[in-house]
Amino acid sequence: MHKLSRSNRDKLQQFVAITGASDKNALQALKASDWQLEAAFDVFYSQPQPRSNGDMRRLEELYNRYKDPYSDMILAEGISVLCSDLQVEPQDIVTLVLSWHMNAATACEFSKEEFFGGLQALGVDSIGKLQEKLSFMRSELKDEQKFHEIYNFAFGWAKEKGQKSLALDTAIGMWQLLFAEREWPLVNHWCDFLQDRHNKAISKDTWAQLLEFARTVDPALSNYDAEGAWPYLIDEFVEYLYDKSVVEK
Amino acid sequence: MSSRQNPEPMTIEEGCKLIDAAVTKLTRIIEGKPEPPFASHEYIGNYTIVYNMCIQKPPYDLSGQLYEKYGAIFQDYDKDTILPSIMEKHDEYMLRELSRWSDINKIMVRWLSHFFYYLDRYYIARSGNSSLTVVGMTCFRDHVYEKVHFNVKQVVIALIHKEREGQQIDRALLKNVLDLFVQNGMGNMERYEKDFEDFFLTETNSYYSRKASRWIQEDSCPEYMIKAEESLKKEKERVSHYLHSDTEPKLLKNVQTNLLVLVAKQLLEKENSGCSALLRDDKTDDLSRMYRLYHEIPEGLEPVAVAFRLHVTAEGNSLIKQAEDAATSGIVEEQVLVRKIIDLHDKYMAYVTDCFQNHTLFHKALKEAFEIFCNKKVAGSSSAEMLATFCDNLFKKAANDKSNDDSTIESTIDNVVKLLDYISDKDLFAEFYRKKLARRLLFGRFSDDHERSILTKLKGQFGGQFTSKMEGMVTDMQLGKDQQTGFEEYFKNTNTGKPKGVDFTVTVLTTGFWPSYKTSDLNLPLEMVNCIESFKAHYEIKTKHRRLMWIYSLGNCNLTGRFDAKPIELIVSTYQAAVLCAFNNTERLTYQELIDQLNLGHEDLVRVLHSLSCAKYKFLKKEPASKTISKTDSFEFNSKFTDKMRRIKVPLPPVDDRKKVVEDVDKDRRYAIDASLVRIMKSRKVLPHQQLVSECVEQLSRMFKPDIKMIKKRIEDLISRDYLERDTENPSTFKYVA
Repeated sequence: MHKLSRSNRDKLQQFVAITGASDKNALQALKASDWQLEAAFDVFYSQPQPRSNGDMRRLEELYNRYKDPYSDMILAEGISVLCSDLQVEPQDIVTLVLSWHMNAATACEFSKEEFFGGLQALGVDSIGKLQEKLSFMRSELKDEQKFHEIYNFAFGWAKEKGQKSLALDTAIGMWQLLFAEREWPLVNHWCDFLQDRHNKAISKDTWAQLLEFARTVDPALSNYDAEGAWPYLIDEFVEYLYDKSVVEK
Repeated sequence: MSSRQNPEPMTIEEGCKLIDAAVTKLTRIIEGKPEPPFASHEYIGNYTIVYNMCIQKPPYDLSGQLYEKYGAIFQDYDKDTILPSIMEKHDEYMLRELSRWSDINKIMVRWLSHFFYYLDRYYIARSGNSSLTVVGMTCFRDHVYEKVHFNVKQVVIALIHKEREGQQIDRALLKNVLDLFVQNGMGNMERYEKDFEDFFLTETNSYYSRKASRWIQEDSCPEYMIKAEESLKKEKERVSHYLHSDTEPKLLKNVQTNLLVLVAKQLLEKENSGCSALLRDDKTDDLSRMYRLYHEIPEGLEPVAVAFRLHVTAEGNSLIKQAEDAATSGIVEEQVLVRKIIDLHDKYMAYVTDCFQNHTLFHKALKEAFEIFCNKKVAGSSSAEMLATFCDNLFKKAANDKSNDDSTIESTIDNVVKLLDYISDKDLFAEFYRKKLARRLLFGRFSDDHERSILTKLKGQFGGQFTSKMEGMVTDMQLGKDQQTGFEEYFKNTNTGKPKGVDFTVTVLTTGFWPSYKTSDLNLPLEMVNCIESFKAHYEIKTKHRRLMWIYSLGNCNLTGRFDAKPIELIVSTYQAAVLCAFNNTERLTYQELIDQLNLGHEDLVRVLHSLSCAKYKFLKKEPASKTISKTDSFEFNSKFTDKMRRIKVPLPPVDDRKKVVEDVDKDRRYAIDASLVRIMKSRKVLPHQQLVSECVEQLSRMFKPDIKMIKKRIEDLISRDYLERDTENPSTFKYVA
C-alpha cells in the first residue's frame, strides 16, 4: 500500500464522498489525473465501470432475489422486499434517488439492465454496501445540480406509461416529497391551488418550470415578472395567492 | 497749387495748428453753423499739408504722429462735443441727438479720411494699423456709444411699450437708433444682441406674460385666440418697421410661448368656450384659428389633438351610454346607435379635413378615440355583432323597399366599412355577418348588387381572405338559379316520378362557405320524400363526386290548411310542415307519438309545437291548454281555426346564435394563433418570450386582438406537441423544433 501524503489522502476521501466510488477506483482515477480532483472526476465518470466476474455473480444473485417469478423484471412486490431489506419505507425519497441512478423508466418497475446499471453506478454489489450508500444518496438531494436532475427525472418516472402528462394526485405527492428536502414555503399553497382550481394533469413544461419558479422567485413574489414566460398555470397560481391574500400585491 | 519749395521741414506743432483750423471749419460746416464751404484749393491744401509732412525726410517724417493726431481729433470731438450734447437730452430727444451726432460723425470721418488719405495709402499699409475709417468709427463707439447705450436702450424699450399699448411712435427714429446698435458691433451682431435685444426680449416676455394671465381670466377661448393672433401680427410688423430681422424668430417664439404654450391647458379646457365647446358648437372659424396658431409652434398641436381626442371619446362614450340606458330587456336599438356613430364620424372627420388641414396628428386622434368606444359592449352585444345586425337590417329593408336610392345605400356601406376599421374583433363581425347573410339569402329577398357591393368594399379594405366565404355564398345563390332551371328541364324531358302537385325548389350550398348547420334525420311526409328522391336522381346524373347533405331546418313550405270556415295558405318552415302533415292521417297525436313518427329532437319539437299551438295562431289544439309544451300533451287538428287573412306566415323563432358564434370564433382564433406562432418560430428559430408574443399580436391584429393568456396557453400546447421547446440555459426563450 502506497504511503499517501496527507493532502492526497484528503483528496481521496473527498473523491469517495462525492462520487461514491470504491477506494480502488478512486485511487485509479486520481492517479490517472495527477491528483487533480476536477480532472479525476472526468476520468472516473467517463470510464466504463470494470466488471469483475465476482461482481456480476453477486449482482445476478441479488437480482434473482427480487425479480418477479413470471417476468424478467423487478416489480412492485420485489421492490417492497428490497426496501425492507434496506430498512427503508417504500415512500422514502431515497428510492427515487435509487431509481434515478438506475435511470428507471417508470416507477415500481426495474428492468434487469436498470437494476444492474444502477448498482454498478453506485459501485455496490450487495445489500450491505447499498445500505451504506443510503446516506450518500440522501446527500445528493442537497446538491443543487443533482436535485435539478432528480426532480426532472421524477416527472417521466412517476407518470403512467404512455401518458404525456402526470396525473394530478401523483404530481402532488411527488411535490410534497421533493420539497420536503428543499424547503419551498409555498408548496402547500401550490397543492391547494391545484386541487381547488385546476383538477387536471400536469404537463412536463409546467413541472419543469415550477422548479425554476421555486428556485428564483421569492415567496413574497417581489421579483415575479408577470410579463415573463411562466406557464399559464403558474400565472394563475400567482393570481390565486393575491386573491387569497397570501401575498400582498 | 505748389508744394512747398522751402527746404525747412514743417514740425508737428505747426502742422497741427493748420489741421486744427481745418477741423474747426469742418465741424462748423457739418454742425450746420453758418460757414462757407471748403473751396477746392482749401481742400487740396489740407491734403497737401499731410502729404508733405509724411514725405519729409527723417527725423521729420511725421506719419506716426499724424496718425495719432487723427485719432486724437476724434477722441476730443467725441468727448468734448458729441457726448455732452447727447447726455444733456432725455427720452426721444436723446435718441434724436444720438442719431444726429452719429450722422455728423460719419461725415467727419469721411472728410478727414480724405484729408489724411496719404496715411491710408502708405503709412497704414506698411504699418498694418487700422484704417482711418475704422479709427474714426471705433472712437465713436468707445467714447460715445459705450457711454450712452444703456440709457438709449431704456428709452427705446419704453417707446416700444408705448406702441404696444396703442400709441403712435416715431418708427423711423427707432430704426436709425437700432441700426446704430448693429453698426457699433463692427461686423457682428454682439452689440445689438447684448446691449439691446436681450433686454428687449426679457421685457417682451414679462409684457406678454402679464397679458396672458389677464386675458386667460377675462376672455373666452375664441376671444383670447383672436387677441393672440393680433399680437403676433403686430410683433411681426414691428420687426419689419424697425427691428433687425434676426430678432423675428426669437420674438415670435417668446410671444407664442407666453400666449399659447404656457396657457395651452387652461385655454383648451376652458369651460363653455374651450376646444370641446367649439367642436360641439361647430365653430369652424375658431377651430381653424386654433390650428393656425398652434401649427407654428413645434409640438404645439399635440395638446390640441389630445383635447380633440378626449372630446370625441366623450361624445362616443355618451352615445354608448344612451344606447345602454335605452336598451329594454337586453335588446339594443342598434339601428339608431350605429347611425349616430356614423354621423359622429362624419362630423368629426369634417373637422379633421377642414379646420385641421388633414393633419396626421388629428387623423390619429380621431382613430384612437373611435377605437376606444367602438369596442365597448352594449347590453351584452359586442360592437361587431351590432354592426352585423345593422347591415342585415339595412339590406333587408333595401331589398323590400325599392324606393331607397342606391347612392344612400352605397354611402352607408362606405361608412360601415370605415367603422369596421375601428373594431378590433373583425373576425367576430365576419362570423355574425355570415350567419345573417345566410338567413337573408335563404329566407328573404336580397339585392345581389348591394350584397356584392359591400363584399367588394370589405375585400378592398381587409383582404380577400376576409370575404372569400361570403362571396362564395352569394355565388351559390346565383348558381342555384341556374341549377333550378336545369332541374325543371330534367322533369320536362324525363317525366320520371315528378311529384304530383308539388312545386319543389332546391338550393345547393357549398359546404365550407356557409355556416355549419345541424342535420337531422327528420322523417318527412311521403310527398316530400318523393321530391327529395327525384332531385337526388337528377343531381347524381349531373355530378358524380358530390355528397348531398339535406338541411331541413332551413327549408320552408307553403301548405294549404283546409279549415272548416275557409282554406288558408300557411307559410311555414319544413319542420312545422312535417308536424302539420302528420295530422293528415290522424286527427289526434300525442307528443310521444309525434316524436316517434317524426324523429325530431325534443328541443326542436317543443319549439315547433309551441309555434303551432300556443302562439298567435292556433292551428293545433293542445290538451291540456297550458302555455307550455310538456311531454304528456296531446294535439289535435284545429278545424275551427280561421282568420281574416287568406295567407298566414308563421315564423319559427330562431335559436339564439350568439353564444355559438362566439365559441366558433374563439376556436378559429386558437388555430390562427397556433399557425402564427409556428410561422414566426419557423422563420426566427430562436426568440425570447416577449418578442414572440408581441410579433404574434402584430401579425393577428388585422383580424382580432388576441388575448395574451390565450397566446401563452397555445405556446404551452405547442411545447407539449413538440413544435417548440424552451432553451435550457434561458427558460424564457423558445426554440423551434424542426
